[in-house]
Amino acid sequence: MSDDAIHDAFESGLKPLWMRAQAGDEVAYRAALERIAARLRRFFGRRMQALPDDVEDLVQETLLALHLQRGTYDATLPVSAWVHAIARHKLVDLFRRRGRREALHEPLEDLDELLHPTSVDAQPARRDLAVLIDTLTPAQQQAIVLTRIEGLSMAEASARTGVSVAALKVQVHRGLKRLAEMVKDGQP
Amino acid sequence: MKTDDLIGLLATGAGPAPRALAARRIAPTLVLGWLCSAALAIGVIGLVPRDLFAAPAWWAKFAYAAALALAAAWLVGRLGRPAARTRGAWTALAMVVLLMAAIALVQLAGGAAAQRPALWLGHSWKTCPFTVLLLSLPALALALWALRGMAPTNPRRAGLAAGLLAGGVGAAGYALSCTEVSMAFVATWYTLGIAATGALGALLGPRLLRW
Repeated sequence: MSDDAIHDAFESGLKPLWMRAQAGDEVAYRAALERIAARLRRFFGRRMQALPDDVEDLVQETLLALHLQRGTYDATLPVSAWVHAIARHKLVDLFRRRGRREALHEPLEDLDELLHPTSVDAQPARRDLAVLIDTLTPAQQQAIVLTRIEGLSMAEASARTGVSVAALKVQVHRGLKRLAEMVKDGQP
Repeated sequence: MKTDDLIGLLATGAGPAPRALAARRIAPTLVLGWLCSAALAIGVIGLVPRDLFAAPAWWAKFAYAAALALAAAWLVGRLGRPAARTRGAWTALAMVVLLMAAIALVQLAGGAAAQRPALWLGHSWKTCPFTVLLLSLPALALALWALRGMAPTNPRRAGLAAGLLAGGVGAAGYALSCTEVSMAFVATWYTLGIAATGALGALLGPRLLRW
């Protein structure tokens, strides 16, 4: 199969899932993120051969960024183009933080090589998100744990805590943003 | 935490993606930014004489600043989205500036040679660009805030677009206080003030638009 065909297969498999996810289908969203995570693992793995331990951390950081920025997806574009633009942004940012300027000379624009189907297994991230969640404010923690980990609906979580649905949504969003910042800054 | 667990965390209860994200940030930037610059212009410098609003020149000046702000707003909306195409917005921005330059040249060509310096420099060319820059600062803060809610992958360019948006908004506010009526004046000194705001945005972008 040619690179174009592999790319088309990725895009055509992802796009319908992604569009359903954007409309609020959680099952489709999970499936789309799983496909994207596998893709990111290859993308970063190829480009971070000097930093293999950082690959899974960056996959997670990018997934968080994709989630927080999902409102910036333009439905007229291929999902893969949007995902790759964000992944490249995160990769360049990581290199900048690490001061590996020479790494910037790697051909970031050339996406073809990462289309080769190599199998890469998910390594555990070194950073433990569960620990990070413990550092959020109690309101953010409660909102995220109830609606995102225990899987209660917003209405159920609201009934259990007495916090309004609107306030819960704000706490979840702020908490995820804070998580993304901590992940990016390399804490703890 | 395993990546699968993170995916579960993100997908569970995620709901639909936010809609019209760019518009919900950029529209308040345009409206609030203009109100701030208009209030500052009227409060500090004062409103132009009422009869000036009857002249087409005032409206041409205001339309130039507003059109430039709208084209830059479009550009901000594109640069805030990863992988989005920006060519249309850049073209629109260039068209606005070129159209104004053409109008100014026609006016200069039609005037007597002795009048040209007065048409070009007016009575306030030394202060106009600085005033536009200062009146644009509230809109610049708002435009950068708008971009911080989006995902600009080129922070310098996005900062430039935010500065041009703010410059257009600030110039549209300054028009309320500016008694110049020459198109050559507007095409030069307004544009210079807007460009200076754009440059300030380009300087601030890499610092403020990281994510």
